[in-house]
Amino acid sequence: MTAAWRIARRELRGGLRGFRVFLACLALGVAAIAAVGSIASSVISGLEEDGAVLLGGDAALRSAYQDITPDERAWLEERASVSRIVYLRSMARAAGSDRRSLVEMKLVDGAYPLYGALETTSALPPDKLFELRDGAWGAVADSALLRRLGIGVGGTLKIGEATYEIRAVIDREPDRVSGARALQLGPRFMASAASVPASGLVQPGSQVWFFYRVKLPDRDGLSDWRAALDAQFPDAQWIVQDRTNASPTIKRFIDRTTLFITLVGLTALLVGGVGVSNAVRDFLSGKIETIATLKCLGASSGLIFTAYLIQILVMAGIGIVLGLVLGGLAPAAMADLLHDALPVVARVGVFGAPLFLAAAFGVLTALAFSVWPIARACDLPAASLFRDSNARFRGLPRWPFTVATVALLAALAALAIGTAYSPRIATWFVGGASGAMVLFGVAGVLIARAAKKAGSIGGTGLRLALANLHRPGAPTGSVVMSLGLGLTVLVTVALIEANLGNQITKSLPERAPGYFFIDIQNDQVDAFEKTVAGVRGFREMRRTPMLRGRVTRINGTPSGEYKVAEGSRWVLRGDRGVTWAREMPEGERLVAGKWWPADYKGEQLISLSAREAVNLGVGIGDTMTVNILGRNIAGRIASLRDVQWGTLRMNFVFIFSPGILENAPQTHLATVHADPALEEGIERAVADKFPNVTTIRVRDVLDTVNGFLGRLGLAIRLTAGVAIVAGTLVLAGAIAAGHRRRVYDSVVLKVLGATRRRIIGTLLLEYGLLGLMTAVIACLIGTVAAWAVVTEVMRFEFTFDPASVIVTALLAVVITLALGFYGTWRALGQKAAPLLRNE
Amino acid sequence: MKGDSIIPEPMVSLDRIELKLDSEAGPVNILKGIDLEIAAGETVSVVGPSGSGKTSMMMLIGGLERQTAGNLHVAGKDLATLDEDGLARFRRDNVGIVFQNFHLVPTMNAMENVAIPVELAGLDNAFDRAREALASVGLDHRLSHYPGQLSGGEQQRAALARAIVSGPRLLLADEPTGNLDGRTGDAVIDLLFSLRADHGATLILITHNPQLAERCGRAIALEDGRIGSDVRNAAEAPA
Repeated sequence: MTAAWRIARRELRGGLRGFRVFLACLALGVAAIAAVGSIASSVISGLEEDGAVLLGGDAALRSAYQDITPDERAWLEERASVSRIVYLRSMARAAGSDRRSLVEMKLVDGAYPLYGALETTSALPPDKLFELRDGAWGAVADSALLRRLGIGVGGTLKIGEATYEIRAVIDREPDRVSGARALQLGPRFMASAASVPASGLVQPGSQVWFFYRVKLPDRDGLSDWRAALDAQFPDAQWIVQDRTNASPTIKRFIDRTTLFITLVGLTALLVGGVGVSNAVRDFLSGKIETIATLKCLGASSGLIFTAYLIQILVMAGIGIVLGLVLGGLAPAAMADLLHDALPVVARVGVFGAPLFLAAAFGVLTALAFSVWPIARACDLPAASLFRDSNARFRGLPRWPFTVATVALLAALAALAIGTAYSPRIATWFVGGASGAMVLFGVAGVLIARAAKKAGSIGGTGLRLALANLHRPGAPTGSVVMSLGLGLTVLVTVALIEANLGNQITKSLPERAPGYFFIDIQNDQVDAFEKTVAGVRGFREMRRTPMLRGRVTRINGTPSGEYKVAEGSRWVLRGDRGVTWAREMPEGERLVAGKWWPADYKGEQLISLSAREAVNLGVGIGDTMTVNILGRNIAGRIASLRDVQWGTLRMNFVFIFSPGILENAPQTHLATVHADPALEEGIERAVADKFPNVTTIRVRDVLDTVNGFLGRLGLAIRLTAGVAIVAGTLVLAGAIAAGHRRRVYDSVVLKVLGATRRRIIGTLLLEYGLLGLMTAVIACLIGTVAAWAVVTEVMRFEFTFDPASVIVTALLAVVITLALGFYGTWRALGQKAAPLLRNE
Repeated sequence: MKGDSIIPEPMVSLDRIELKLDSEAGPVNILKGIDLEIAAGETVSVVGPSGSGKTSMMMLIGGLERQTAGNLHVAGKDLATLDEDGLARFRRDNVGIVFQNFHLVPTMNAMENVAIPVELAGLDNAFDRAREALASVGLDHRLSHYPGQLSGGEQQRAALARAIVSGPRLLLADEPTGNLDGRTGDAVIDLLFSLRADHGATLILITHNPQLAERCGRAIALEDGRIGSDVRNAAEAPA
């Protein structure tokens, strides 16, 4: 080891020369992973530290549709300060005009907020802002609502039957993330919960959520308090959250986004790994004489291997530290952007765990891609090192090195899977990435073989270009691999985005209804249907009863103890829309079991979405218990339906047979298809006649979703861009490594009479062919990957978007041509005479 | 066509040629006013100590270097009037060069190396001609070998085949045996003279070897950038 270290130290005197691409590849990949992890940690630590403020209390109880009982409330108030909040969606109408807007209502009591402060444009405290004055309740709202309604502070509006006066605009709502729903469809509107009776909005069966937040006198007593609550009310149907996990939705979102971006970042690192491997090989090419001499002087292969491994590790260390510094600074650099984009104040700081993880990825990548070329160089007998440079790096190294390389790659995969939020997705990624690497490896060989076989077709330029692709030592394989992997990620991301965009901006608006109307009361149904059908532009309406329920047991096992596949955990997580029906919904089809007769009367049956049934591990004959309005209703699964979630129709996981639910308090949900040019007439007619009915315009929802996806897509595209930059670096490295050969070839060709145009033409043809073939393969693999994600994960219909693919392919050709041209231009600038003189 | 002229135009004409190159120690005068005419079909050896300017003069004649002063005509062309691509075309059509270090393209096999000049000239049957040329230097069994797989003598024979494959009017050879052992060197030189005779090309041969110099019809000695002597040998060596 000492001798190896001494040799390594002497060799390192050469400095970083020849290691620029190596360092850049590692630094870039590590920086991407470290940056994503650090940013996620900064947001999550913001979530954790501000848990009580974000949740609005040390703990919160959430009850859908029905309020908790006075006894329950008394129990809470005995032990802590309590704040009650009512959440619902409704329509706000400006007084004196026909402008209206969907609003996300948050009706609070005098105790609000228990933690943090509501910041508004007024200096008045909440109780003054919300008090009833001259027949109008005080309210504050997002500025967006005022814009939509065309009113200012002091303006009045009606929601339901109540009149509200806007007394200030909300600047910052501390607990915004802890609402009833993850997706806000309208601007926030806040007023006093005392105005609820006057509004008439909360009727039996109305979609309303009651939140009880508690502030404990002793903050450390949280777990005792929770234990006491569970002991006192074991069967309560509320959902309890506490400050230690204030916003699971955001946490889940951050975790998932981090996973996807980390995987894309990992691709960048893998692409960089190819660059690392090339750089190590090129470095060792220049060291062959030294290695041979050392061997002649009696150094063993092991000693030489160790000496060069030490050098590579020192260089890797520098690259990794560089990447960690860049990635570690990301939270600080992105602080402003995150503050604007997220409802959480991210903490700026250095986060050890993500940096350690990124470093581990970096070390494993550097080792996995270096051991092989080092071992091969060190294994060759001394005599052969002095001959035939092209044979130096062929063949397999001795088996321990092959095993070590495989073990390192396996460790890299295990680290990716073991540290992922979703090991399943990470496993798919590892499988996909390995498959893609093998495919590109094979493609590189096939391209070289095809070029060799094509041999002398075409003119001299084409022949030379083809010949350059299969020459010994040609960079074809590494360019195809590195650029190909980067492009595959880009094509996959671009196609998924295009498909999502297409769904949201084109397919969905074409198929989806124009409006959802919710909270139609039983006694309003007839009038509602008549009103809507009478408006010009009306095309079709569907209506269904709507209740909310929560799965409590599956085959007798409490749902909390039930193991469920990740994709369907949401079914058990909170309360879900539930309906009952005599006929099977139009557009759906049964995949198992039988639909009950329209006049069915008998034991309670359930028709379940087939996909969720698979993920829940249930089938025909199994029983499920759903708590609806405080009552546990058990049913036997009688049929499974193929639900098309992508259609934005009224899709339900659970449909009950007629019976108990028929007489439960319920409201109705209706979808209306109308001529897009005339659909506003329907909205106006409903708002005028049924102030309690909430209108959701699908186009607005899609706009919201589209904007959100756009921002998310940007983050993923940026990371995919890192993979492309890494691929470009590898390509640049390969071109730089071949520069001496190119200069020499150009000079000899010039001596033999080739013009500059001819030399450039040949080399551009070579790189153009290489770029084009790589792009075609990347587009194929990327399309298959995107198809798999769109159809299997997102369950949308896949449409091939030629524009995304062509743009990516062009990008590949342009990158290779630009770098190839640059390399060639530099080669052509060299004077011939000095190279030709006898040494 | 040249034979129709009353006074045959020389193949190479150097008129007060000077070459000054920049070095770290300042400009160095390599050639200091060379006047030289070489007729078509002549075989000329250039001898002189290292640094006397032999290779530089050959580079100028091959259009690989540009003179600082003076007039230079080769095969009827004023090389000063040609740009870099013009010089490349000039070499392609008129010149074959053999280097001491062979200068084969390492990533092309023997056949491809030899075929290149024919391909660049846009002539038909590049590979047939290359095969023929390699056969004429005894390498027809090494067609698909890469330079790294050939011995020094074989590499130089391949380089020789490449130099003559497109039938150049002027052959330039810069110490072609400098990297070869005596016996292999002799064989290569025999080949060189034989091929030159077959093609009737003008040969300019740079060498340190006095016996080799004597095989040429004319011997020019360079001394410190100037022509020290220009002697016509009694009889040109047999092929």
